[in-house]
Amino acid sequence: MTRFVEPRDLQEACAILADDEWGNKVISGGTALVLMMRQGLIAPSTLVSIGRIDDLDGIRKDDSRITIGARTTHTAIAASAEVQRWLPSLADACSRVGNVRVRNVGTLGGNLAEADYAADPPTVLVGLDALCHVIGPHGARVLPVADLATGFYTTSLGPGEIITGVSVLIDEHRVSVYEKYVSRSSEDRPCVGVSATARYDGTSLDQLNVVVGAAVAVPRRFDEVTASALGGTLDETARRDIAAAIGEAIDPIEDARGSAWYRRKVTAVLVKRALERVSR
Amino acid sequence: MTTSADTLVRRARVLGVSLPMPDAADRVVGTLEYTVDHSVEGMVHARLVRSPYPHARIIDVDVSGALAEDGVLRVVTGADIETAVEIPNPFFGLTRRDQAPLAIGKVRYVGDPVALVVAETPQTARAGAESVLVDYDELAYVVDPKDALVPDAPVLHDEWPGNECGEWRLDRGDVDGAMSNATHLFEATYTSPMANAVPFEPHVAIAVWVDDFLEVWTATQWPSAVRGELAHMFDIDPGKVQVRVFPLGGGYGAKSQLKIEPVVAAAARMMGRPVRLELDRDEVFLTTGKHPARMNIRTAVDAEGRFIAREIDLLYNGGAYAVVTPKAVAQGLLRSIGPYRFPNIRIRSRGVYTNTIPSGSFRGAMTNQAAFAYESHADEIAAGLGIDPYELRERNLLEDGDLFASGQVMHDIHFRELLQDVAKVIGWGKERASPAGKAIGKGLAVIIKTTPPGTRSEVRVEVHADGQVLVHTNSVDMGQGVLGTLAQLTAHHLGVDIEKVRVRDPDSSTFDSMTAGSRTTFVADHAIGEACESIRRQAAEIVAGRSYGSDPGTTPDYEEIMREASITALIGEGVYQSTPSDALSNPLDVKGEVADHWHQGAVAVEVAVDVETGKVEILRCHGAAWAGRVVNPIRARQQSEGSIIFGMGPALFEEVIFVDGQVSNPNLSDYMIPSIVDVPINLTSSSLESPDPDADIHGVGEMTIPAVAPAIANAIARATGARVRDLPMTAERVLRAILGEPE
Repeated sequence: MTRFVEPRDLQEACAILADDEWGNKVISGGTALVLMMRQGLIAPSTLVSIGRIDDLDGIRKDDSRITIGARTTHTAIAASAEVQRWLPSLADACSRVGNVRVRNVGTLGGNLAEADYAADPPTVLVGLDALCHVIGPHGARVLPVADLATGFYTTSLGPGEIITGVSVLIDEHRVSVYEKYVSRSSEDRPCVGVSATARYDGTSLDQLNVVVGAAVAVPRRFDEVTASALGGTLDETARRDIAAAIGEAIDPIEDARGSAWYRRKVTAVLVKRALERVSR
Repeated sequence: MTTSADTLVRRARVLGVSLPMPDAADRVVGTLEYTVDHSVEGMVHARLVRSPYPHARIIDVDVSGALAEDGVLRVVTGADIETAVEIPNPFFGLTRRDQAPLAIGKVRYVGDPVALVVAETPQTARAGAESVLVDYDELAYVVDPKDALVPDAPVLHDEWPGNECGEWRLDRGDVDGAMSNATHLFEATYTSPMANAVPFEPHVAIAVWVDDFLEVWTATQWPSAVRGELAHMFDIDPGKVQVRVFPLGGGYGAKSQLKIEPVVAAAARMMGRPVRLELDRDEVFLTTGKHPARMNIRTAVDAEGRFIAREIDLLYNGGAYAVVTPKAVAQGLLRSIGPYRFPNIRIRSRGVYTNTIPSGSFRGAMTNQAAFAYESHADEIAAGLGIDPYELRERNLLEDGDLFASGQVMHDIHFRELLQDVAKVIGWGKERASPAGKAIGKGLAVIIKTTPPGTRSEVRVEVHADGQVLVHTNSVDMGQGVLGTLAQLTAHHLGVDIEKVRVRDPDSSTFDSMTAGSRTTFVADHAIGEACESIRRQAAEIVAGRSYGSDPGTTPDYEEIMREASITALIGEGVYQSTPSDALSNPLDVKGEVADHWHQGAVAVEVAVDVETGKVEILRCHGAAWAGRVVNPIRARQQSEGSIIFGMGPALFEEVIFVDGQVSNPNLSDYMIPSIVDVPINLTSSSLESPDPDADIHGVGEMTIPAVAPAIANAIARATGARVRDLPMTAERVLRAILGEPE
């Protein structure tokens, strides 16, 4: 029988989690966890709810960063004026996660902690160089979101560690987009997701991050491909070359949403489309 | 007694009016009781243990671990059922009694029930089921029907060598002669995989025995069939079996025939306690599905596109147990012909056993697979000859007086009107320019469906002294609003206010073969008409000499008549029995009258194909059904448009995927159904009616679904030049077809 506990502070929550690294699980929105339990994939001995812990909700902006609490729902992020203004690609990605029922309950922290390859927000956050804020029995630490997921449903979180939020640097010279592609129902998880984040100095490309998600185990950045475009104007030739190179370089997975052959094709198409949207 | 004219009251028209479902408010606020909500005092809960192997001999079932769980009451195995004196006939089935409530001797597919754990709570039953240890001896297995036909293929049932599960043939004219002289020959093979109907409410049943009387609450579309088979299983009079059905949370064929009722009734019998079983979603996937099919068509045509001869070879995968397959493949044969004239035609339609989920009814059964093939093929012929697909159909469509391939003379045929209707709405012939990266195209399809043969429906209408009218039928409301539709028909035939009519949920007091095959409204109109006619006649006899009126708009005042005659009720009974036919008496020579009347529908669609990803977007879709007369316009529209939405899934992305004999996607994350976001903004429908006030009422439950996939396939082909012959037409398949890249 699974126990359900609702600690009032993070230290207590971390302590309970650390008691049984494999048996005790954090529950927030529960949209992923409960499905896994129902399908018999996991059988936690204790569910540690973070629903009664203060300060995990909400979106805050200071002079340099936007910080999003781990328990903030996808709906709240998509609807936030600050996120829409400063991180429009994240607002877009969150507005297209699953379906409205999932978005209203599922949280950003849960999305990251689940490390499901077929997710939307991580692909955008990795492209935005987002940081993940974590607390554990030995205190708080910060790591790049890019270093969080380590494989299918696995993360670099240590025993007793809980994600408390995500923060992203504000940069008004940055343009970022998300291309989501679903191969089946409109409410499907992504077959391929691509984020493109560009920063310009005048018309010349200063920085370019292209991240491919959902077609691979963890979101993958292609700095080695995009580096060649820096200093240029991201013209049609550059966009086509980058799209083709990433389509070649990626080693996609296969599942019911598409074969590796198909995902390779679609990845190239989405990269091209994302780059068109961030080009000047 | 007076017979003054003022007792003759003219009533408001009740046919052709969009009256709401009687339980609409309960449905909206969630207070309607479904079987899944029902409980019975003292009931215990069951959980099935299922086979992990596609084909294996059961060596031993160790139930000791399960029985050691606190709260586990009993574990029933196939061996228990085989030897139980209370169960003289442990095998059931409506075409072949080849299935036991729990596998006896061997398992035949992954998911085949092996044991039933019964406990005080559902949680305990679940824990107990995990503790049952089954020792298997694995056998060679077969998943592909073609492989099941080879001489040394694994045999599922010793009684059925070669895995034979029905074979029917039709041969008319001289196909070989016509083919050898033909100037144009076309040939192609089309395939459909298994799909699941995904009713929201899973299969659920509760069985209660009181002495020798059995009461079963079950979510079924076929309560009368459940009753008959359970009576046979326990060797008791059918009168001792009562099957109760609440409105279903969706059926779509998935709740046809018998599913979990035998195992629940058997366990309740052996334990002497009410037993309840509710399936999980993955178990719904493992219980039934649409027949996978492979259809090869060869057609000879003349230069004007007239069909001269056709040869069809149709292979249906029946799965591990017969269920309906041996008979369904006969319908498969008839429904493979399509709405066209063929002077020469030869068809072979076969069903075969394989180690997969037992196939069963599915909305548009045995028509969807065939219509995808013959309507795709029609467009391929049109393209090959350079003839407009609309024009090609016009030249070949059946008309009144034509002979169907079986030799039956066609009547009440309206294909041209249907085709015209959908073509007009879609703007056939007016092509739109495609935006960059997209290819836009339109497609048409028109279908014919036979009525289910040999069916019977009984109704009993009671007019009570207080004026209330009760209608007893065994027809099941599964969201289509049958209770409302039958109430409207009763009010019409009896000439009473609709508010006075109440249609009872099924309770076994009358017989109905099935709520399926788009037959209920049609057959109920006849049966209710007969019952009401009887009541009107009785009323008239009481008021001797008085004319009770041949005008259905006028009616006697039943309350006054009963009051003055001191009687408490007038009861009328009506029966619809479909015409006995010998057309299916010889499986190898199907010939003659094969349908009471003809189901007819059409769909036109406009799609935009993303030429870089293959993703198909439906821009506009219009469906048309021949309704004859419409009982309730909004419900007819919901049927046609609901059918289109339902049909989009198997057309574009639904498929039950087998990997090494095991279903790899038995959940609603890995198996997607269309979401509300997938519904085209421009989705419309027509229900075409006859000007004749006495025209046959036609069912409209499945008139558009078979045409959805071929209309989309044809639109994709016209948009991109790429032809997809395998369902589902996933984005990947479409892209591969565009790029000429084989799978």
